[in-house]
Amino acid sequence: MTPRAQEIAQLDRMIHEPARLTIMLILDGVSEADFLYLQREGGFTQGNLSGHLAKLEEAGYVQIEKKFKGKVPLTVCRLTSEGQAAFSGYSRRMVDILNSNGAAG
Amino acid sequence: MSERDLKNDSAKQTTSYGQRAASYWSVDGLPEILRGLAFVILFAVPCLWRIYAPTHWPRAGSLISFTGLFLYFFGAERVVLDFLKSRITYPRTGYVQPPERDWFGSRTPVPLSLRPSQPYFLSTFSPSPTVSENATSFWPGNVRPLLGFSVLCLAGRELLGHWLVPLAMPALAVTLYVVNRNSEIPYSWWWALILALTGLPFLWVNVPAALPGGLPFLLAGGWLVGQGVYTLVNYLRMNPYPVAAEGAHA
Repeated sequence: MTPRAQEIAQLDRMIHEPARLTIMLILDGVSEADFLYLQREGGFTQGNLSGHLAKLEEAGYVQIEKKFKGKVPLTVCRLTSEGQAAFSGYSRRMVDILNSNGAAG
Repeated sequence: MSERDLKNDSAKQTTSYGQRAASYWSVDGLPEILRGLAFVILFAVPCLWRIYAPTHWPRAGSLISFTGLFLYFFGAERVVLDFLKSRITYPRTGYVQPPERDWFGSRTPVPLSLRPSQPYFLSTFSPSPTVSENATSFWPGNVRPLLGFSVLCLAGRELLGHWLVPLAMPALAVTLYVVNRNSEIPYSWWWALILALTGLPFLWVNVPAALPGGLPFLLAGGWLVGQGVYTLVNYLRMNPYPVAAEGAHA
């Protein structure tokens, strides 16, 4: 296995999946967002988003909290510090891989 | 929102999710309505004070309105907005809390970001300002030019006389258009034109003595309210109240 292939293999698969990457990208850009906003912003179905959020929560990357804004119940999601670190590491590694490929021609 | 609208939205997605969250804060027009009302009050209180209490502390009206607005901008506005949005916006299109304000630098925590970092307080004056990721960039993009112009108007009212308002409004319109052209809520040229033209009638209309050089406040405040109402009506038309409430997911 080449070093580059090794690097690619080391990418965090929890984040690498496109739907979860979209969720992480959205949550990384905001302080917190509710289920409806994530669903609309990422173009997810309810079931799809629920499933991926559950996986990210299980991995400790996302914190999900039920709360009220006025009388409206909201399912609010935010990145945990572990999630932020994992996403930061993932994106740094990804940029390195893409840059090294570009530098190699 | 229909699938078609979602696609249209994503077609316009040239900015980061943080920037989109910031622009989402203004998607319903409520911040502009509230800010516009605040400016109308800022103008109206001193005028009413001059009319009804001319002999007692003539500056007290200005003092009251500035103090009230200070408290409003730095505290109450967010509470009022949250109250209104929790009834109008969040049930329709969701809730998001954009990144926290950083007065002295833009937020670039993700290495994937290729956007150059620029001190936030300089971005307004840059020939090509970076788009702020901040919900409260309405402050520098909108309130700062208005406040700056109000000071100029107060200073120049003796010199310019009845030309003050007709000259100030086009200048203010151009400034707001230019300052906000790369913001998350750029003004369309025709909205800027409306603001510019609001000063024109005052070439022929005599401004009463009770109306000080702060008349542009009233016009700009009214303009903000008008634009906010227009945005709100469009938003409500495009996003009807959902039949099933959100909340039981995830």
